[in-house]
Amino acid sequence: MSPHRIALLFNANKVYDRQVIAGIGHYLNSTRVEWDLFMEEDFRSRMRDIHQFRGDGVIADFDDPEAPDALRDLPIPVVAIGGSYHDPAAYPPGVPYIATDNARLIRLAYDHLIEQGLGRFAFYGIPPHPGSRWAQEREHAFQAIVDEESVEGVVYQGSPTSAGGWGTAVEELVTWLAELPKPIGIIAVTDARARQLLQACVIGGFAVPEQIAIVGIDNDPMAQLLTRIPLTSVIQGAEEMGRTAAHLLHQMLRGMDCSGTRVLVPPVGINVQVSSKYQPMRSPHVMRASHYIRQYGCLGIKTEQVADYVGVSRTVLEEHFKRELKQTVHQVILKHKLDTACELMTNSDTPLADIALRCGFTSLQYMYAVFRREYDCTPRQYLDLHRKTAAT
Amino acid sequence: MPVSNATAWGQLPDGRPLHRWTLRNARDTQVEISNLGGTLLSWQTPDRQGRVGEVLLGHADAGQYIDSNAYMGAIVGRWANRIRGGRFRLDGIDYKVDRNDGGNHLHGGNYGFHLQRWDVETDGDDLVLRLVSPEGDGGFPGEVSVELRVRLDDDGTLDLRYTATSDAPTPLSLTAHPYFNLNDRRPDIRDHVIRIDADEFLAIDAGAIPVGRQQVAGSAFDFREAAPIGSRLHWPDPQLQLVGGFDHCYIPRQPAAQAPRVVAEVVEPSSGRRLTVESDRPGLQFYSGQKLTGQPSRHGDAYGPFAGFALETQAFPDQVNGPEAEGAILRPGVVWRQHTRYRVDTL
Repeated sequence: MSPHRIALLFNANKVYDRQVIAGIGHYLNSTRVEWDLFMEEDFRSRMRDIHQFRGDGVIADFDDPEAPDALRDLPIPVVAIGGSYHDPAAYPPGVPYIATDNARLIRLAYDHLIEQGLGRFAFYGIPPHPGSRWAQEREHAFQAIVDEESVEGVVYQGSPTSAGGWGTAVEELVTWLAELPKPIGIIAVTDARARQLLQACVIGGFAVPEQIAIVGIDNDPMAQLLTRIPLTSVIQGAEEMGRTAAHLLHQMLRGMDCSGTRVLVPPVGINVQVSSKYQPMRSPHVMRASHYIRQYGCLGIKTEQVADYVGVSRTVLEEHFKRELKQTVHQVILKHKLDTACELMTNSDTPLADIALRCGFTSLQYMYAVFRREYDCTPRQYLDLHRKTAAT
Repeated sequence: MPVSNATAWGQLPDGRPLHRWTLRNARDTQVEISNLGGTLLSWQTPDRQGRVGEVLLGHADAGQYIDSNAYMGAIVGRWANRIRGGRFRLDGIDYKVDRNDGGNHLHGGNYGFHLQRWDVETDGDDLVLRLVSPEGDGGFPGEVSVELRVRLDDDGTLDLRYTATSDAPTPLSLTAHPYFNLNDRRPDIRDHVIRIDADEFLAIDAGAIPVGRQQVAGSAFDFREAAPIGSRLHWPDPQLQLVGGFDHCYIPRQPAAQAPRVVAEVVEPSSGRRLTVESDRPGLQFYSGQKLTGQPSRHGDAYGPFAGFALETQAFPDQVNGPEAEGAILRPGVVWRQHTRYRVDTL
């Protein structure tokens, strides 16, 4: 028997779509199912051409507003992938639907911020658009939570992202952030939006996470790469969505009626990074200084520059650091460099000499000397020890 | 850390007093165990933020444990899980044991190990529980002596080492039966993400008795890659419909040299807590807690469906009536051993 010919209709330019497709691949690899998969070379879908497709089944991204109409009269099984809706009537009728559970994504981000000790919240979304109804669903979920729990919650949709309007959009975002009561926890509708927030915080001089704690959604490595302050992000169950869709289509090709099946997949994790590790601090000077060190600590900065940024004398800043953190400014900068070096050693294959330079040590020899002094071992020994503890 | 002294904890219907003991480690974790059924009453441990919370379901008092049919936290014996029709043949003799689950035997019968008063003594960091199960207990042959050594390690591992001997051949399968919910702020485990290291599970009939091995590949039962429990419940699968969720025995890859191997890992994203189960047993029963509805909770209210899940390390259900029956028989002169480790830590 020749393999079933299956079309995957996704715009796989985002990490979410790629994970869904990876999940479909995992399902096929775990079984003896052979599918002849049809995708465009650029991993983008052309819904309008699908009626010419001589195949056996389709898995399609129903967040694409063209999908329901384009696929309605197709005589072969179709499985829909998309965002969940709070209104059951919003789902396309007669099609099995695998959804990322928008309400649970927001709940996980919100609970995380609550656990950090925050009591005020905001949501940074995107303006309504037919291709991103999921964003409105996330906004709705946020509104429902803050209403239910009677806490302060502000929603800001901002402007659509465009090259021409970028300057104004950033200015408006900074203005919005300036007007928010602080400290506050902000949930961004995606990591792409969270990255814009982080950038606006740097421009506006708001300390992250001391004044503004931020959680994104997608756990997108690209967004992570483009921010100085590592971003906390909710991880969607996208691979599981792909596995589920493949399983349903597999059953439908064997004749099972799955038209009424709807599966909501909750998030599978949250990658907790600095952007949400809110700790109440009493001294605004220490707060601003910590914010500066987190951004530029690896660029060879000295106490002098930190004090300049904060706008106080070295002596005053040192007093505040001693009282609040029981450390000197220099010690905190050094700690930041060492932490970054350890992070890079554990999670990347970067050569040690490059790590030394990237973390603001003047040479590899100097980094060795600092490790010896602070941890009484070499960087390599430190790493071995760390790996061993992680394994046991 | 040394085990605490005994604290009074209610009494049996015949007036004999019951007690509980507390195990602590150096990292803010504490586990409470009672001599009623060797029951794990409570397990409190920090979440991602260091906030200590409860990860086990539990009843409010000893009376509720005695009246309950949920086997909550208890040590289950002589036979964990089911025996078809409560019958088996051993060395040419037919035995009939208690039928307490719709015509089948379940979890030791009407007066299983979970309802018995164990002898408990402390031994430094260890808590040692002993029970002598008389000839004919639940209908089973032979007098069986069981010792369970419990220890709480600093890495959050609750280490359970069982030994047992018998003066006559008898089936034996013991398990701990804790229900976990790693997020004490949400009374529903469907957002927990589970991984089970098994290529096969035992498909069951309507009476929950195994009918044969089945590959997990391509089915809702494939947790070799971690997946949320809740969304799998919506996969169209007749095996799930039979019992309203998961209540099936997995067959983890076989242990090397009788040493415990990791059989399952469960992560709760919100709290950041992670449960790891290691065991040397051939079977792992995964129960998603769909029938917990109405069970009284320690807070005075009632649990709902999916309030907790259980991962029970044991022999295969009804193994005594199958081709591998001999593997589940304890004979005189042999020391039966089981080693299971539950570890709760954070990501």
